[in-house]
Amino acid sequence: MSKELNLWLDKLLSDIESVKVKRNSSRRIRIDVEPRALPALLELLQGRASYVHLSAISCVDWIDDDQFELVYHVWSYETNSLVSAHTRIPREPGVYLSIYDLYEPAGFFERDIHEMYGVYFEGSPDMGKFILTEWNGPPPMRKEFDSEAFVNQTFEWENYRPQWLKDLEEEGGGISIRPEDARR
Amino acid sequence: MHLLLELLLMPLVAFIVGLAMVLMLRKIAARLQRRIGPPFLQPVYDIVKLYSKETQISHGLIHEMGIVMAVGGYIAAETLLPVPGMRGLADMGGIVTLTYLLMVPSLGMALGVGQCANPNGSIGISRALTAMLAYDVPFILVVFGVAWVHGTTNLAEIIEIQQQGGVQTWGLVQMPLLALAGLMTLPAMMGKQPFEIYVAPAEIATGPMVEMGGKFMGGLFVMQCFQLYTVGVLYTTLFLGGGENWPVFLLKVFAVVAIPMSAALMFPRYRTEDMLRLMWKWPVLIALLGLVMVMT
Amino acid sequence: MARIDCPAGPGNGDDVTKDKTENTLIKRDDESFPIEVRQERTNPLANVFDGLVRFCQARSMFMLHYCTGCGAIELPPAMTSRFDMERLGIQPMVTPRQADILLITGYVSIKTLKRIILTYEQMPAPKYVIGICSCTVNGGMYWQSYATAKMLKAYFPVDIYIAGCMPRPEAVIEGLKDLMGDIKTGRANSWKKYFQNYDYYLGNQQKLFGENWQTPTDIVAEAQHYNLMTDQTLGEHTALLEKHQQPLQALGMSLHGQKEKA
Repeated sequence: MSKELNLWLDKLLSDIESVKVKRNSSRRIRIDVEPRALPALLELLQGRASYVHLSAISCVDWIDDDQFELVYHVWSYETNSLVSAHTRIPREPGVYLSIYDLYEPAGFFERDIHEMYGVYFEGSPDMGKFILTEWNGPPPMRKEFDSEAFVNQTFEWENYRPQWLKDLEEEGGGISIRPEDARR
Repeated sequence: MHLLLELLLMPLVAFIVGLAMVLMLRKIAARLQRRIGPPFLQPVYDIVKLYSKETQISHGLIHEMGIVMAVGGYIAAETLLPVPGMRGLADMGGIVTLTYLLMVPSLGMALGVGQCANPNGSIGISRALTAMLAYDVPFILVVFGVAWVHGTTNLAEIIEIQQQGGVQTWGLVQMPLLALAGLMTLPAMMGKQPFEIYVAPAEIATGPMVEMGGKFMGGLFVMQCFQLYTVGVLYTTLFLGGGENWPVFLLKVFAVVAIPMSAALMFPRYRTEDMLRLMWKWPVLIALLGLVMVMT
Repeated sequence: MARIDCPAGPGNGDDVTKDKTENTLIKRDDESFPIEVRQERTNPLANVFDGLVRFCQARSMFMLHYCTGCGAIELPPAMTSRFDMERLGIQPMVTPRQADILLITGYVSIKTLKRIILTYEQMPAPKYVIGICSCTVNGGMYWQSYATAKMLKAYFPVDIYIAGCMPRPEAVIEGLKDLMGDIKTGRANSWKKYFQNYDYYLGNQQKLFGENWQTPTDIVAEAQHYNLMTDQTLGEHTALLEKHQQPLQALGMSLHGQKEKA
């Protein structure tokens, strides 16, 4: 395997139609693919191009386009470069294939995205909750979930005015923006 | 009548000297770490606070009996250790009885901890009993050697023999190898690094003491005072000629306890099987060599 | 420092436009809790004895060596050579059964709050809770988060707050000295508040963790045993607890990793 594969990988991939490649630097390549082509692309990168390490899977909520964007970051030890494969899935069923058979760590990342965004990954061994185990509400990282409004509804606030603050206020000082005003 | 007074006074004296030893330990640890340690009466504050806890979580009768056995075993052992001015029961039971009695506290704690049903406690106490097995073998060899040389197992007579002869008859001078082996088992008997695997604070949450709070913990603190005192006085009696009067005696006892403690703070702890291997190799070899030298 | 002219007092600036659901926390002001009056005993010697015991309790505090959140980074400096806490008699202990002080350092997520309540109930009384860092006071930096608890004293009573983000070790030691003063004068009795007002605390806990929330410690039975029951101990929330309470199973222990149910 060539150690400089990353230098001409973008030219190689841009020959495939429906794959958009953009080079960010000598070691960072961004690829945009259709969702149905992504697992095949990842398998190609893993098997033939030495990108054997899955660094992360991230999710972006494009609420105006009504889509979720899933980003798969894969790293190659031989060429020391990162390839980020972006794909967009429609927000409404929010279902996608799991790549657990290709990369085993994907199990955890997909579980995380399922908890936070509600995206279901078919074929994943376990979709159970492990971070938000005491949470019973909607997936909180979606843009329609207003955390501040939820907090104002559910929690009460303490009126903290200890003696040292009262002493300061008597002398003419005090807090310049009171918490009650910041919470409106 | 005189004996009854002695039986009451000896554990009391042991407790007070033990408190001072605990303070000395904490001060040595603090000074070696370049800080100031606790104030003078800190062990007293700790014990009073622990006994003044208002709610108590007990796991049953056997749990409480375990603590009673642990402290009681040491109190019984104090009456067998002669100090300047008081012989107690030293004539009736010698060093062999003392060795038996010194095993009772660990067994008592094992009884109490077994009732707790906490896995940390069970692991800790199994390690403690294994450690006791480890240090008892060289300890028995050392005791046997001393008894052979002096021809008696009576601790008071051993002290008299050493005091009448002067410094040349001290155990340290007559049987240096046995004294060295005894010194190597001292940290294990005190439960200090590098042999404090059974406590292991961050690993198994202080092992046997994991479910002991409040008054139980107070009892265990008292037991620690007795433990340090017993070990120090025993070593002084066997090898340093006891004490003719109280100041000299206390000086010797505090020196004996301070030496392993100062070395202890520079060590991490050994694993249980490593401790077993270490204890059965070096102190036993040195003790056997010492035995060979004194018996021929 | 500039000051905006706002009238002081609780309830300022909120309430009007917020709609509270039935899941909202119950809030009780500090004044609604009965003030603990230290009982003077008839025998003057007993008073002296009590004073001595309180002095010893103040000078020998064991803190639990488990500190939540990011404020825990300020505790090792307070314990080591530079700001030695052992001079004041404070040493870390590793299990809640042996500790007196529970230090809540930093933000408390809902997941951690469950475990903190379990730990708090396991400690023998008298016990003290110190809320270090601003996140325990009013949510601090994470006040907009759906997953942190804002007002810690709605879940169990807190003795002293040490505000800051994070407070320096000198501030932590000042707060601990304040606690020592409180203990010496007999004002640090918040552990009794938990038994006396268990219904209120349990209500807030149930709103976060659901109706089947149950701890291994039977607080109502303990309150009865130690004569700390008041009419506020039982209520609608403890009735819910009794309805859903299940007897706890002993943990199955085996040597080879397979957990068997006892």
